[in-house]
Amino acid sequence: MSEAAIFTEGLSKSFGAQAAVRELSLRIQPGAVYGFLGRNGAGKTTTMRMLLGLVRPTKGSARVLGLDPGRETELIRILERVAFVPQRKQLYGWATPAELLRMNKAYFPRWSDDAAARLAQRLEIPMKTAFKKLSIGNQSKVALLLALAQEAEVLILDEPTAGLDPVMVDEILRTLIEDHVSQGRTIFVSSHHLGEVEQICDWVGILEEGRLLLESRLEEIRQEFRLVIASGEGLPAVQSVDVVSATTDGRFRRYVVAREAERFAAELRVQGAAILEVSPLGLRELFLHLVRKEDACTPGNVGAKPAPVSSFS
Amino acid sequence: MYAWKCWRETRASFIFLLMMSTAVALLITLAPGITEQNGWWHFDRSEYLHNPFPTMEMVTIQILTSLGACGILAGLFFGSTASGSEIEPGTIEYLWTRPRTRTSVTWTHWGVCLAEMLIVALAPIYLAAAILGALTRNWEMPLLLLAPWMIFIVGVPILGLTTLMTALRRSGKGGLLGTAGVITVYMIVRQIVLVPLHLHPPALFAGSLFWLMNSKPFVPLSAFPWGSLVRAVLLAGAFPLAAQYLLKRAEV
Repeated sequence: MSEAAIFTEGLSKSFGAQAAVRELSLRIQPGAVYGFLGRNGAGKTTTMRMLLGLVRPTKGSARVLGLDPGRETELIRILERVAFVPQRKQLYGWATPAELLRMNKAYFPRWSDDAAARLAQRLEIPMKTAFKKLSIGNQSKVALLLALAQEAEVLILDEPTAGLDPVMVDEILRTLIEDHVSQGRTIFVSSHHLGEVEQICDWVGILEEGRLLLESRLEEIRQEFRLVIASGEGLPAVQSVDVVSATTDGRFRRYVVAREAERFAAELRVQGAAILEVSPLGLRELFLHLVRKEDACTPGNVGAKPAPVSSFS
Repeated sequence: MYAWKCWRETRASFIFLLMMSTAVALLITLAPGITEQNGWWHFDRSEYLHNPFPTMEMVTIQILTSLGACGILAGLFFGSTASGSEIEPGTIEYLWTRPRTRTSVTWTHWGVCLAEMLIVALAPIYLAAAILGALTRNWEMPLLLLAPWMIFIVGVPILGLTTLMTALRRSGKGGLLGTAGVITVYMIVRQIVLVPLHLHPPALFAGSLFWLMNSKPFVPLSAFPWGSLVRAVLLAGAFPLAAQYLLKRAEV
């Protein structure tokens, strides 16, 4: 197996008593487009910051392109090969995008002037206006332009399309697919726009309260994940690692099943349940079922704790 | 490229300080020759030629009194743009994800500011000295020629202190106000101790500047506060080193 582009093992970060990331283990292969999903405060940004050496892990380890971001010499080599778009796209207010490009270019050996010029035109960025005078959307575009023109091996994008209009979002996604995905670059992207994630990602990881609830190929979610709705009095407890989440809604129970949903439904029938529906799940439904507080599994409910369901294993 | 960014951010303060101190130095240098006759102002060189030494002494003392603080001001303004100032506005995420060490970022900024401070201290006073020398036809002005270096030496620890305070407060404004606060409190305490208690606490690293301001020409060099100079040099290195230590461990 080739070396992972991003690898974490038991990565944890606490701010005082507050745990931001707990025991996070990821293995993102080179060329993968990995959607990192979660609610606000789930720990996505902290994870990305740990990968870039902006925050030190409390526990566990991380590797980016096989290098340790905790060591300064290795971090510099990571930063030469990784492009980052932070959530807060704040750049020097006095500088114009053209000046920012010149400034950025000097840092990166693989910088592409052609890509920068093409993107600037495609994203309709006013290159001679001071950054502080640009709209929020244009500021986001400049941040993306700086990252994409780096021609980096790995892109770490923290909500890259926040504040952009749908036309620009489409442009960005097309650029990512045409210029980066097609060239086998690794993209690690967090977003609240699940439609975008579905459009470009081949892997998703769902994080909640710092824990990885689920990690799977998007294709597998489409093909295997099912919502099973059962009814009946006193539905039996079901112990199965395939059940990702279970909720009670009046007389109904909704189960999100990772694989072999029909077999699971059959087991429920044997235990006296009436199966109302076994239907495929979109990413949005899956996400909502997993992260809604009221949907969280509790011991004695269905038994399957919200443990990571990983298809890497 | 980071050096260019430092220059861009300090450019306005640099030009302002340079212009102000040059204007003040020129005004003081030329003032003894400006006279009024029948309601018209004109420049008369005779004062410089007839009384060269008293004129030079007066100009020197006035320049030192007026420009003595410009090194401190330069240190304050330039230091408040150090990389710690980027934490509050959020540009630090951009800066610290460029492939440069935080140490190199800290010292690049320090180096650029040091060059600017040197120009702010040297250019106006040496310009004044050149004009004064030409007007009096006398080039023996050791205090005036020494003054910019003393102003510079006193400014460098302030640059370091502001860099450190900026890292501690994580903002440029916080660093500037913090350093101004430290200086003000020390000076007030020093005055309180000095006057009623008749104690003589050291001027820390500003002793050489005080010596210069209180000196008349041809003061023996034996009275020079070497200890203060050594403290200035040590603190000039210690403050940015402490800032470097803080920033290297900072999380954003």
